[in-house]
Amino acid sequence: MHEMSLALEVGRLVEIALQRSPGRLLRVGVVVGDEAGVEPANLAFCLEAVLASPPFGGARPVLRRAPGDELRLEYVEVDDGRPDH
Amino acid sequence: MAVRTIEVRESLMARNNELAAEVRRRLGEAGVVAFNLVSSPGSGKTTLLERTLEALGQELGIAVITGDVQTENDARRLARRTDRLVQAVVTNGACHLDARQVLAALEAIDLRATRLLFVENVGNLVCPASWDLGEAAKVVVFSVTEGEDKPLKYPKMFRQAQYAVLNKLDLLPHLSFDLDQAVGFAREVNPALRFFFTSALTGEGMDAWFAFLRTQARVAAPRS
Repeated sequence: MHEMSLALEVGRLVEIALQRSPGRLLRVGVVVGDEAGVEPANLAFCLEAVLASPPFGGARPVLRRAPGDELRLEYVEVDDGRPDH
Repeated sequence: MAVRTIEVRESLMARNNELAAEVRRRLGEAGVVAFNLVSSPGSGKTTLLERTLEALGQELGIAVITGDVQTENDARRLARRTDRLVQAVVTNGACHLDARQVLAALEAIDLRATRLLFVENVGNLVCPASWDLGEAAKVVVFSVTEGEDKPLKYPKMFRQAQYAVLNKLDLLPHLSFDLDQAVGFAREVNPALRFFFTSALTGEGMDAWFAFLRTQARVAAPRS
Protein backbone atom coordinates (compact mmCIF):
# COMPACT_ATOMS: atom_id res chain seq x y z
CA MET A 1 0.00 0.00 0.00
CA HIS A 2 1.62 3.30 0.97
CA GLU A 3 4.68 1.85 2.66
CA MET A 4 6.98 3.03 -0.14
CA SER A 5 5.89 6.66 0.21
CA LEU A 6 6.51 6.38 3.95
CA ALA A 7 9.92 4.85 3.29
CA LEU A 8 10.77 7.76 0.99
CA GLU A 9 9.71 10.17 3.75
CA VAL A 10 12.03 8.31 6.14
CA GLY A 11 14.79 8.79 3.54
CA ARG A 12 14.07 12.53 3.40
CA LEU A 13 14.18 12.87 7.18
CA VAL A 14 17.36 10.76 7.44
CA GLU A 15 19.06 12.99 4.88
CA ILE A 16 18.21 16.03 7.00
CA ALA A 17 19.56 14.27 10.12
CA LEU A 18 22.78 13.37 8.27
CA GLN A 19 23.30 16.95 7.19
CA ARG A 20 23.19 17.95 10.85
CA SER A 21 25.25 15.01 12.06
CA PRO A 22 27.43 13.69 9.23
CA GLY A 23 28.78 10.18 9.27
CA ARG A 24 28.31 6.73 7.83
CA LEU A 25 24.73 5.65 8.40
CA LEU A 26 24.44 2.32 10.21
CA ARG A 27 20.85 1.93 11.46
CA VAL A 28 17.56 3.77 11.16
CA GLY A 29 15.01 3.35 13.95
CA VAL A 30 11.33 3.67 13.02
CA VAL A 31 8.31 3.35 15.32
CA VAL A 32 5.22 1.76 13.75
CA GLY A 33 1.92 1.98 15.61
CA ASP A 34 -0.35 -1.05 15.61
CA GLU A 35 -3.18 1.10 14.23
CA ALA A 36 -1.07 3.08 11.77
CA GLY A 37 -2.42 1.19 8.76
CA VAL A 38 1.07 0.00 7.91
CA GLU A 39 2.35 -3.53 7.48
CA PRO A 40 5.74 -3.54 9.26
CA ALA A 41 7.26 -6.24 7.04
CA ASN A 42 6.32 -4.27 3.93
CA LEU A 43 7.70 -1.07 5.40
CA ALA A 44 10.96 -2.84 6.33
CA PHE A 45 11.22 -4.15 2.76
CA CYS A 46 10.68 -0.67 1.32
CA LEU A 47 13.12 0.86 3.80
CA GLU A 48 15.77 -1.65 2.80
CA ALA A 49 15.29 -0.61 -0.83
CA VAL A 50 15.48 3.12 -0.01
CA LEU A 51 18.46 2.72 2.34
CA ALA A 52 20.36 0.64 -0.23
CA SER A 53 20.67 3.71 -2.44
CA PRO A 54 23.12 6.58 -2.02
CA PRO A 55 23.65 8.44 0.22
CA PHE A 56 22.52 5.78 2.70
CA GLY A 57 24.91 2.96 1.80
CA GLY A 58 22.93 -0.04 2.94
CA ALA A 59 21.99 1.05 6.45
CA ARG A 60 19.70 -1.34 8.34
CA PRO A 61 16.13 -0.40 9.26
CA VAL A 62 15.09 -1.27 12.82
CA LEU A 63 11.34 -1.23 13.35
CA ARG A 64 9.71 -1.05 16.75
CA ARG A 65 6.00 -1.74 17.23
CA ALA A 66 4.00 0.55 19.50
CA PRO A 67 0.36 0.94 20.47
CA GLY A 68 -1.75 3.56 18.70
CA ASP A 69 -1.31 5.04 15.25
CA GLU A 70 2.06 6.74 15.50
CA LEU A 71 4.59 6.56 12.69
CA ARG A 72 7.89 8.09 13.59
CA LEU A 73 11.54 8.19 12.66
CA GLU A 74 12.94 7.69 16.14
CA TYR A 75 16.69 7.75 15.63
CA VAL A 76 19.56 7.37 13.21
CA GLU A 77 22.75 5.62 14.18
CA VAL A 78 25.94 6.86 12.51
CA ASP A 79 29.63 6.19 12.64
CA ASP A 80 31.08 9.67 12.59
CA GLY A 81 34.63 8.39 11.99
CA ARG A 82 36.00 10.00 15.10
CA PRO A 83 37.89 7.84 17.54
CA ASP A 84 36.07 6.73 20.66
CA HIS A 85 36.51 9.40 23.31
CA MET B 1 34.92 3.75 15.42
CA ALA B 2 32.50 6.03 17.20
CA VAL B 3 28.91 5.00 16.79
CA ARG B 4 26.48 7.69 17.79
CA THR B 5 22.71 7.49 18.06
CA ILE B 6 20.98 10.68 17.05
CA GLU B 7 17.43 11.12 18.33
CA VAL B 8 15.13 12.40 15.60
CA ARG B 9 11.57 11.71 16.85
CA GLU B 10 9.96 13.12 13.73
CA SER B 11 6.52 11.95 12.60
CA LEU B 12 6.44 10.48 9.12
CA MET B 13 3.18 12.34 8.61
CA ALA B 14 4.61 15.73 9.65
CA ARG B 15 5.38 16.94 6.12
CA ASN B 16 1.96 15.87 4.85
CA ASN B 17 0.33 17.54 7.85
CA GLU B 18 2.19 20.80 7.15
CA LEU B 19 0.91 20.77 3.58
CA ALA B 20 -2.60 19.88 4.78
CA ALA B 21 -2.46 22.88 7.11
CA GLU B 22 -1.57 25.05 4.11
CA VAL B 23 -4.54 23.62 2.15
CA ARG B 24 -6.77 24.33 5.15
CA ARG B 25 -5.43 27.87 5.45
CA ARG B 26 -6.06 28.65 1.76
CA LEU B 27 -9.55 27.15 1.83
CA GLY B 28 -10.37 28.96 5.05
CA GLU B 29 -9.23 32.28 3.63
CA ALA B 30 -11.42 31.78 0.56
CA GLY B 31 -14.39 30.56 2.61
CA VAL B 32 -14.43 27.17 0.92
CA VAL B 33 -15.59 24.09 2.80
CA ALA B 34 -13.92 20.86 1.68
CA PHE B 35 -15.05 17.28 2.11
CA ASN B 36 -12.81 14.27 1.60
CA LEU B 37 -15.00 11.48 0.18
CA VAL B 38 -13.65 8.09 1.19
CA SER B 39 -15.00 4.58 0.67
CA SER B 40 -14.41 1.13 -0.72
CA PRO B 41 -14.27 0.94 -4.50
CA GLY B 42 -17.77 0.87 -5.98
CA SER B 43 -19.70 2.48 -3.13
CA GLY B 44 -21.16 5.12 -5.42
CA LYS B 45 -18.95 8.14 -4.71
CA THR B 46 -18.92 9.29 -8.31
CA THR B 47 -22.69 8.88 -8.73
CA LEU B 48 -23.25 10.75 -5.47
CA LEU B 49 -21.07 13.55 -6.82
CA GLU B 50 -22.80 13.55 -10.20
CA ARG B 51 -26.19 14.05 -8.53
CA THR B 52 -24.75 16.65 -6.18
CA LEU B 53 -23.23 18.57 -9.09
CA GLU B 54 -26.54 18.46 -10.97
CA ALA B 55 -28.44 19.82 -7.99
CA LEU B 56 -25.96 22.25 -6.45
CA GLY B 57 -23.01 22.60 -8.82
CA GLN B 58 -23.92 26.10 -9.95
CA GLU B 59 -25.54 27.26 -6.73
CA LEU B 60 -22.56 26.39 -4.54
CA GLY B 61 -19.77 26.70 -7.10
CA ILE B 62 -18.66 23.13 -6.49
CA ALA B 63 -15.13 22.07 -7.38
CA VAL B 64 -14.02 18.45 -7.44
CA ILE B 65 -10.59 16.89 -7.20
CA THR B 66 -10.68 13.26 -8.26
CA GLY B 67 -8.27 10.53 -7.24
CA ASP B 68 -8.81 7.91 -9.89
CA VAL B 69 -6.10 5.27 -9.65
CA GLN B 70 -5.41 4.41 -13.25
CA THR B 71 -7.86 6.24 -15.48
CA GLU B 72 -9.59 9.58 -15.80
CA ASN B 73 -13.01 7.93 -16.05
CA ASP B 74 -14.40 9.52 -12.88
CA ALA B 75 -13.20 12.96 -13.96
CA ARG B 76 -14.80 12.51 -17.37
CA ARG B 77 -18.12 11.48 -15.80
CA LEU B 78 -18.05 14.48 -13.50
CA ALA B 79 -16.98 16.83 -16.28
CA ARG B 80 -20.33 16.13 -17.98
CA ARG B 81 -22.07 17.66 -14.96
CA THR B 82 -19.94 20.74 -14.58
CA ASP B 83 -18.29 22.95 -17.16
CA ARG B 84 -15.47 23.94 -14.85
CA LEU B 85 -13.51 23.13 -11.75
CA VAL B 86 -12.88 19.43 -12.21
CA GLN B 87 -9.25 18.65 -11.58
CA ALA B 88 -8.12 15.09 -12.16
CA VAL B 89 -5.34 13.65 -10.10
CA VAL B 90 -4.33 10.32 -11.60
CA THR B 91 -2.46 8.53 -8.89
CA ASN B 92 -0.80 5.81 -10.98
CA GLY B 93 -1.65 2.93 -8.73
CA ALA B 94 -1.25 4.76 -5.43
CA CYS B 95 -3.62 3.84 -2.63
CA HIS B 96 -4.52 7.32 -1.36
CA LEU B 97 -4.27 11.01 -2.13
CA ASP B 98 -1.91 13.15 -0.09
CA ALA B 99 -1.96 16.82 0.80
CA ARG B 100 0.74 17.66 -1.74
CA GLN B 101 -1.51 16.49 -4.59
CA VAL B 102 -4.45 18.49 -3.24
CA LEU B 103 -2.31 21.60 -2.79
CA ALA B 104 -1.11 21.28 -6.40
CA ALA B 105 -4.70 20.81 -7.63
CA LEU B 106 -5.82 23.95 -5.77
CA GLU B 107 -3.57 25.98 -8.06
CA ALA B 108 -5.92 25.15 -10.93
CA ILE B 109 -9.13 25.95 -9.06
CA ASP B 110 -10.63 29.42 -8.88
CA LEU B 111 -11.28 29.43 -5.15
CA ARG B 112 -13.07 32.78 -5.32
CA ALA B 113 -15.77 31.13 -7.43
CA THR B 114 -15.92 28.08 -5.17
CA ARG B 115 -17.84 27.50 -1.95
CA LEU B 116 -17.70 23.75 -1.77
CA LEU B 117 -14.83 21.43 -2.68
CA PHE B 118 -15.04 17.66 -2.86
CA VAL B 119 -11.97 15.49 -2.94
CA GLU B 120 -12.94 12.10 -4.31
CA ASN B 121 -10.26 9.94 -2.75
CA VAL B 122 -9.01 6.61 -4.03
CA GLY B 123 -11.49 3.80 -3.25
CA ASN B 124 -9.81 2.20 -0.26
CA LEU B 125 -10.90 2.04 3.39
CA VAL B 126 -7.37 1.69 4.80
CA CYS B 127 -4.78 4.14 3.53
CA PRO B 128 -6.84 7.32 2.98
CA ALA B 129 -7.72 7.23 6.70
CA SER B 130 -4.13 8.12 7.57
CA TRP B 131 -3.70 11.15 5.35
CA ASP B 132 -5.05 14.58 6.21
CA LEU B 133 -5.79 16.47 2.99
CA GLY B 134 -6.76 19.74 4.62
CA GLU B 135 -10.45 18.89 4.50
CA ALA B 136 -13.14 20.14 6.86
CA ALA B 137 -14.29 16.55 7.32
CA LYS B 138 -14.04 13.08 5.90
CA VAL B 139 -17.30 11.66 4.57
CA VAL B 140 -17.34 7.89 4.35
CA VAL B 141 -19.65 6.49 1.69
CA PHE B 142 -20.84 3.01 2.67
CA SER B 143 -23.10 1.14 0.30
CA VAL B 144 -25.62 -1.50 1.31
CA THR B 145 -23.99 -3.98 -1.06
CA GLU B 146 -21.11 -4.16 1.41
CA GLY B 147 -21.17 -6.15 4.65
CA GLU B 148 -22.79 -4.61 7.73
CA ASP B 149 -19.53 -5.10 9.60
CA LYS B 150 -17.41 -2.82 7.38
CA PRO B 151 -17.12 -0.29 10.25
CA LEU B 152 -15.71 -3.02 12.52
CA LYS B 153 -13.29 -4.22 9.87
CA TYR B 154 -12.06 -0.70 9.04
CA PRO B 155 -12.50 1.15 12.34
CA LYS B 156 -9.87 3.81 11.69
CA MET B 157 -11.72 5.11 8.65
CA PHE B 158 -15.06 5.19 10.46
CA ARG B 159 -13.42 6.84 13.45
CA GLN B 160 -11.75 9.49 11.27
CA ALA B 161 -14.96 10.33 9.41
CA GLN B 162 -17.49 12.82 10.75
CA TYR B 163 -20.22 11.84 8.30
CA ALA B 164 -21.39 8.60 6.72
CA VAL B 165 -23.52 8.29 3.62
CA LEU B 166 -25.28 4.92 3.52
CA ASN B 167 -25.83 4.63 -0.20
CA LYS B 168 -27.62 2.40 -2.75
CA LEU B 169 -30.76 2.12 -0.57
CA ASP B 170 -32.71 1.24 -3.73
CA LEU B 171 -31.01 -2.18 -3.64
CA LEU B 172 -32.13 -3.02 -0.09
CA PRO B 173 -35.14 -5.16 -1.20
CA HIS B 174 -32.75 -7.44 -3.08
CA LEU B 175 -30.23 -7.87 -0.27
CA SER B 176 -30.06 -9.36 3.20
CA PHE B 177 -28.26 -6.23 4.45
CA ASP B 178 -29.39 -5.20 7.94
CA LEU B 179 -29.36 -1.41 7.93
CA ASP B 180 -29.88 -1.03 11.69
CA GLN B 181 -27.03 -3.41 12.41
CA ALA B 182 -24.70 -1.53 10.04
CA VAL B 183 -25.55 1.78 11.72
CA GLY B 184 -25.08 0.15 15.12
CA PHE B 185 -21.62 -1.11 14.18
CA ALA B 186 -20.63 2.30 12.85
CA ARG B 187 -21.85 4.01 16.02
CA GLU B 188 -19.96 1.47 18.10
CA VAL B 189 -16.77 2.65 16.41
CA ASN B 190 -17.70 6.34 16.29
CA PRO B 191 -20.72 7.43 18.36
CA ALA B 192 -20.55 10.97 16.93
CA LEU B 193 -20.90 9.85 13.30
CA ARG B 194 -23.77 11.60 11.50
CA PHE B 195 -25.62 9.59 8.87
CA PHE B 196 -27.28 10.25 5.56
CA PHE B 197 -29.37 7.51 3.96
CA THR B 198 -29.40 7.80 0.20
CA SER B 199 -29.83 6.27 -3.16
CA ALA B 200 -27.84 8.52 -5.45
CA LEU B 201 -29.40 6.59 -8.33
CA THR B 202 -33.08 7.21 -7.50
CA GLY B 203 -32.61 10.41 -5.51
CA GLU B 204 -33.98 8.93 -2.29
CA GLY B 205 -32.64 10.79 0.74
CA MET B 206 -30.64 13.21 -1.36
CA ASP B 207 -32.60 16.26 -0.16
CA ALA B 208 -31.19 15.89 3.36
CA TRP B 209 -27.67 15.61 1.91
CA PHE B 210 -28.20 18.73 -0.21
CA ALA B 211 -29.63 20.68 2.74
CA PHE B 212 -26.59 19.72 4.79
CA LEU B 213 -24.20 20.90 2.05
CA ARG B 214 -26.03 24.20 1.69
CA THR B 215 -25.73 24.79 5.43
CA GLN B 216 -22.03 23.89 5.45
CA ALA B 217 -21.30 26.22 2.53
CA ARG B 218 -23.21 29.06 4.20
CA VAL B 219 -21.34 28.65 7.47
CA ALA B 220 -17.95 28.61 5.74
CA ALA B 221 -18.62 31.59 3.45
CA PRO B 222 -16.49 34.65 4.28
CA ARG B 223 -18.30 37.49 5.97
CA SER B 224 -18.67 40.43 3.59
